[in-house]
Amino acid sequence: MQKLSEEQLENLAQDLDAIRNEQMADLGQKDADYIRGIIRLHRTLEFGGRALMPLGFIPPFFLAGMTSLGIAKILENMEIGHNVMHGQYDWMNDPELNSQTYEWDTICTADSWKRTHNYEHHTYTNVIGKDRDYGYAVLRLEDETPWKPMHLLQMINFINLSVFFQWGVGVHELEFEKLRSGEVTLREKAEFLRDFARKGGRQVFKDYAFYPALTLPVAPVVIAGNFGANLIRNLWASSVIFCGHFTEDAESFTEEECENESRGHWYLRQLTGSSNFTGLNWVYTLSGHLSHQIEHHVFPDIPAYRYREISPQVQAVCEKYGLHYNADSFPRQYATVLKRVTAFSLPDRMRERLFPEFNEGDEQGKVADRTTSTSLVSRLRNRVSSTLSVAA
Amino acid sequence: MQESMNMEKGVDRGQGRSYRGVLARVGPGRDTWRWLGQQLFNRENPAMYFDPLLESINPLWAQRYIPARVEAIEAETHDSKTLTLRPARRWGGFRAGQHLNLEVEKDGRWYSRPFSLSCSPSHWEQDGTITVTIKKVADGEVTPWLLEHFEPGDVIGISRAYGEDHTPEPGRPMLFITGGSGITPVLSQLEAMADRHLRNPVTLLYFVRTDADVIGGRKLEALAERLPNLELRIVAAEQDPQNPDHLGPHHLQAVEGLTERDCFLCGPPGLMKHAQNLLADAGVPEEKVSSTLFAVGPGVVVTEDAGGTVHFSRSDITVESAGDRRLLEEAESAGLNPRYGCRMGICHQCSCRKTSGIVINQQTGQPSGYGEETIQLCINVPQGAVELDL
Ligand SMILES: Cc1cc2nc3c(=O)[nH]c(=O)nc-3n(C[C@H](O)[C@H](O)[C@H](O)COP(=O)(O)OP(=O)(O)OC[C@H]3O[C@@H](n4cnc5c(N)ncnc54)[C@H](O)[C@@H]3O)c2cc1C
Ligand code: FES
Repeated sequence: MQKLSEEQLENLAQDLDAIRNEQMADLGQKDADYIRGIIRLHRTLEFGGRALMPLGFIPPFFLAGMTSLGIAKILENMEIGHNVMHGQYDWMNDPELNSQTYEWDTICTADSWKRTHNYEHHTYTNVIGKDRDYGYAVLRLEDETPWKPMHLLQMINFINLSVFFQWGVGVHELEFEKLRSGEVTLREKAEFLRDFARKGGRQVFKDYAFYPALTLPVAPVVIAGNFGANLIRNLWASSVIFCGHFTEDAESFTEEECENESRGHWYLRQLTGSSNFTGLNWVYTLSGHLSHQIEHHVFPDIPAYRYREISPQVQAVCEKYGLHYNADSFPRQYATVLKRVTAFSLPDRMRERLFPEFNEGDEQGKVADRTTSTSLVSRLRNRVSSTLSVAA
Repeated sequence: MQESMNMEKGVDRGQGRSYRGVLARVGPGRDTWRWLGQQLFNRENPAMYFDPLLESINPLWAQRYIPARVEAIEAETHDSKTLTLRPARRWGGFRAGQHLNLEVEKDGRWYSRPFSLSCSPSHWEQDGTITVTIKKVADGEVTPWLLEHFEPGDVIGISRAYGEDHTPEPGRPMLFITGGSGITPVLSQLEAMADRHLRNPVTLLYFVRTDADVIGGRKLEALAERLPNLELRIVAAEQDPQNPDHLGPHHLQAVEGLTERDCFLCGPPGLMKHAQNLLADAGVPEEKVSSTLFAVGPGVVVTEDAGGTVHFSRSDITVESAGDRRLLEEAESAGLNPRYGCRMGICHQCSCRKTSGIVINQQTGQPSGYGEETIQLCINVPQGAVELDL
């Protein structure tokens, strides 16, 4: 982890607080109009998609209906739900956009999400053992966690997590790994399970019973279309989130590093533990502006569409303190995610040789890279990573 | 004596009562409707889900508040205007002397402000319009903007009417003591009397600063014609700055049969307190006096420094805060267990409804507004008396 002195950390906090205060003081009609516009777009796409779906026996209609509903779900989850639940719009005093009452269109209940994501993940970002979002307890992404043979197959977990992302997030708080180790009991999780079942039931009922029943003669088409829409959302949401923290250069931290940390240290961790991807404005919107994961982590409750305009300021701060501002195109960031998942599925010795860039300290990695450039191992490694970039 | 309503209690945001009224008319399907709302839209009131679309087609179709079309705006004085509104038909009507909240969005923020209806219910019953009369509070957040911003044809949000029913009863002699914009509910009551051709002896003591500050002058003139037993005494207390004429015992002595009268007080807190004392001194029984306070919630004290009395209303616990601890810690040491996460302002787990009072955000140093809003317990300290829904 990049180190800064206590004094530097204090200055860092001041610089970032200044950006934050400037933004907070500027909140107003512009933000209200923006989020309402997005909500209008969401409703239009949702109703449009659901209306087209029964005509889905004609292929173009199927595609249009499914995409429309899929994008609606993406907007609702990422640009509306996620951001509203972070309290980004609490200042509007609008009961429909309040972090404490908003419930979103996905399996995970808002309450569970706010505990695991807003609190655990945003407070203990990338702290191994405390941030359960780092690898979602099914992926090994760093060498703090001892390697086990089952990790060899973690690419399968990765694919499953991507496809069934909303279910993964939904059961996340069950803490399956702790249940298995006996650290928590099922009884302690009873309340969570009840809420999970109720919310999950609703989501299933809506997409796979209610709307199909309304359109009975073409129910199978509607079921398929709704499934497709959920799938689109799952794949996109998981990819965006993986690109935010699992990329090659995103750092992880140990618990000791973060004991009694100052606000400046927390800021430092947010800056170096997150990564951005670049793209077109509509891609940013569809990602709920989690394309700007760094800005989001530094300022989780500033309306997310503002991250775009804050980004240069945050970059300047990073430059001032010599911190790496991790941003690259979406395909390239995603490729490094795949690389990390692959690298850490291997036993440490093998990984160190095949993927030296993940070895502690960048310098070392690069040196190792150069010195062994002619070895068989290195050529093998190059093959693996170039296949990955091609795949992306 | 009852104090009928203060501003905080009157707050009725769209989510609450108003939509249930809509559902009530759907009839037996109400529970099904709510259940379906949960299943399909993750909210109890499915109608609200459609608002963003409905509103953009026709603002009068909005469900989260009751929309009302501004029909006319008339200046009363240099700093007050009467708005004639035509609420959507589902608005439930009102009784004389009741109030409603105007629900407005200013600069992206929602505000809810109480105003009295200044006309008799017959207007609503006959032609579907109502009036509210608004006086500008010079340093106010909403009223100066409200008086500038709206034009005939605009749509404004309103709540259902609330507050005590002050429909005048036949035969009883009455005394109204009002000041400033406190005249408004009285206009409604007097007009209701005229509609019902009541002949009660009525005295109105109306205190204004100068002759130019008389609100509802035209209406009062018309009422004097229609109510033969109305005695109208408008006192321009500061017309002659050398000889101010504020409410005093001499005003009450001039009222015939004072102790027999039903008294109704409405106006700023100072005037009301004073009137209550004078009436008690004059031997008017307490139960014959009713009053409506036209001010921010009682107990709100403006101070410069942090610290004050914190009332956790749901658990009915009150603590004195010296201002050196965050509200989360205050709540915990009072034995409460509010939800929290990071304790450093990141996660909003500790967010809670503040129903009144001002808090200071320790991260920005900024004070909040004093009205109802969501705050984070872990980074705020009270500035004066604060009430939390905890
Ligand atoms: C039941 C009821 C009926 C009413 N009917 C009418 C009516 O018919 N017509 C009418 O004109 N008005 C009426 N009022 C008064 C009206 O509601 C207020 O004038 C209005 O809400 C002011 O809004 P504002 O945003 O402009 O001012 P605000 O910003 O709300 O400020 C109001 C005043 O309070 C002061 N203030 C702000 N913070 C504090 C604090 N912490 N402690 C003490 N004072 C503070 C401000 O300086 C200002 O002078 C009624 C009030 C009530 C309670
Ligand atoms: S406890 Fe996290 S914001 Fe207050």
